[in-house]
Amino acid sequence: MSEARRLHPIAVLFNLLGSVREAIIGFLGIGFFSLKEGLWLFISFALIFLVFTIIISFLSWFRYTYRVEEGELRIEYGILIRKKRYISKNRIQSIDLSAGVIHRLFNLVSVQIETAGSGADADASLEAIKRSEGEWLRDVLKQPDDPENISTADEAEAMAVTAGPSEKISFKRLFLAGSTSGSIGVIFGFAAYIVSQIEQFLPASFFDRFFTSAVGWAVGTSVLLLIGLVLFCLLILWLVGIAGTMIKYGNFTITRNGDELFISRGLLEKKQLTIPLGRIQAVGIRESILRQPLGYATVYAEIAGGSLDKSEDFSTVLFPIMKRDEIRPFLEKLLPDYKLVTTYTLSSLPRRACVFYVWRAVWPFLLAMFAVWYFFPPFAWIPLIPLIASALFGFLRYKDAGIYVNAHQLVIRTRGFSRNTVILYHKRIQAFEKKQHKLQKIIRLATVKLSIIGVLGIGTHYQLKDLVENDANNLGNWYSYRDRWGSL
Amino acid sequence: MRQEPANRIATEAMKAWKITASLILGIFWIVFVAAAVVFFFLKWPLWIIWIAFGTIVVATYVFVFLIPKWRWRRWRYEVFEQEIYIQHGILVVSRILVPMIRVQHVDTKQGPILRKFNLASVTISTAATTHEIPALIEADASALRDRISTLARVDEDDV
Repeated sequence: MSEARRLHPIAVLFNLLGSVREAIIGFLGIGFFSLKEGLWLFISFALIFLVFTIIISFLSWFRYTYRVEEGELRIEYGILIRKKRYISKNRIQSIDLSAGVIHRLFNLVSVQIETAGSGADADASLEAIKRSEGEWLRDVLKQPDDPENISTADEAEAMAVTAGPSEKISFKRLFLAGSTSGSIGVIFGFAAYIVSQIEQFLPASFFDRFFTSAVGWAVGTSVLLLIGLVLFCLLILWLVGIAGTMIKYGNFTITRNGDELFISRGLLEKKQLTIPLGRIQAVGIRESILRQPLGYATVYAEIAGGSLDKSEDFSTVLFPIMKRDEIRPFLEKLLPDYKLVTTYTLSSLPRRACVFYVWRAVWPFLLAMFAVWYFFPPFAWIPLIPLIASALFGFLRYKDAGIYVNAHQLVIRTRGFSRNTVILYHKRIQAFEKKQHKLQKIIRLATVKLSIIGVLGIGTHYQLKDLVENDANNLGNWYSYRDRWGSL
Repeated sequence: MRQEPANRIATEAMKAWKITASLILGIFWIVFVAAAVVFFFLKWPLWIIWIAFGTIVVATYVFVFLIPKWRWRRWRYEVFEQEIYIQHGILVVSRILVPMIRVQHVDTKQGPILRKFNLASVTISTAATTHEIPALIEADASALRDRISTLARVDEDDV
């Protein structure tokens, strides 16, 4: 029980900043065009807008109240139309506290409440309340049957000490994670660099025809400049990647607390995330192209339901970076009841599948090559580079693809750019599909697709292409609930 | 997974699909005729019209006459106590298993064309996927819906 309360007055500022941020692009556009004549008109218009927004922000803060009553969180809001949202304690899936820079200045937190329902309306967020208040709210709204109620610990670190097994990222690892992040960006950067180098190898006739020697010299220097610039941009990109990762995953700590995983991370903005173990649908290991040769991988989980945090990827990172052989003890420590298979030998695909894999990777570049070959014969060899690279990728995809099945679990490994290994539970798989096109039928291959619950009610689907047809059938039988109980 | 599901969908499905395809192609025919008239009066090269004519005739034959037949021939389903088994697809053949304990809800629906033939389709949704059995006799569709929804009421046991 509690009487209706308002958010911290700083929420007015957040409301204001939010509206201004939304409007600012439009205003900049208008401002740009009215530079000459209507500048004063524009400024007065902007001022009116600002005053109006301040009033609205204040009113919406004033009208926004929350209270806990009869086991429900009751939020009332709306300026002209009063809206009430009552969220029953039993429906609440998770309560997350996070604190941005401004929050931390005033010792405030923002509270995100997720429910099982679908759609954005099912969730609530209190933008700024006192930290103690937030923790009180979390304790009050916790499930009553929760065995280990988290006490009002002052800091996440304190919680980590009192609670069960936990893992914290070291600075060295964090730095490594940063320097190997954004792998695709860096690779594309290098590709761009190589392409810019290519000019040296252009046929001499090309230069003869189009450039006098003076122009050629100018081009030569500018090419050098360009290469320097590209390298510089790459360096900046890389540093930004490091900084971004450090800020995002700084102080990353994961702790198991009874039936929940508790993640806290972030250097500037501290984010806290609670994952009830029961909502984990699958556990995955992602080895990006830069990290794989170093023997490092990211461990993540697919979590059912909940709202999609804009800054968050679709899957939830359980640990940003760790050595491949540390994954097993890590999973055993944090998810012991899940009895995840951590030792497995994947059976790879048959050799005849290789052609399909290479073909799928190669055909767009093959088309491009024919087009270039037809229209610009002297440059026909340029698309050859991505062609060979893609063929190599196709082969890697074929080589890395694999599957392992035991009584209750299934491990699938595929590669897009990164190598992904996903551990699925039989009871979490929502549907099974076997697909086969004409060519696959002739050489007895088939594609399988497994669906699990994903965020926002969209399923997450795992597809493994070109399995031996028999294995695909057996996988179907493994999944089938008929054969499982032998009733048919 | 080796055997096909046992049941076919209603034979009237082909008629319904033919009508749907005809309606869509009808639009193309109207556009074609209009274009032909314009080309004829403006004395633009007529070979373009001939090529378009050939294409649209072939498309009509394929979409109105062949595909509904192929599609119907491939479409099969079977409802077991524990799961639903579906097969469909012309070029890529899909076989799908949906366990009863994963079924969240079943709907029947009927558009104007299906209603004309007393058909209805059954939609089966899980938390991650949606599957549709496209054209069953109305009574069969309702019966199937009720049957699946009863069977889907099994308690989830942790395997």
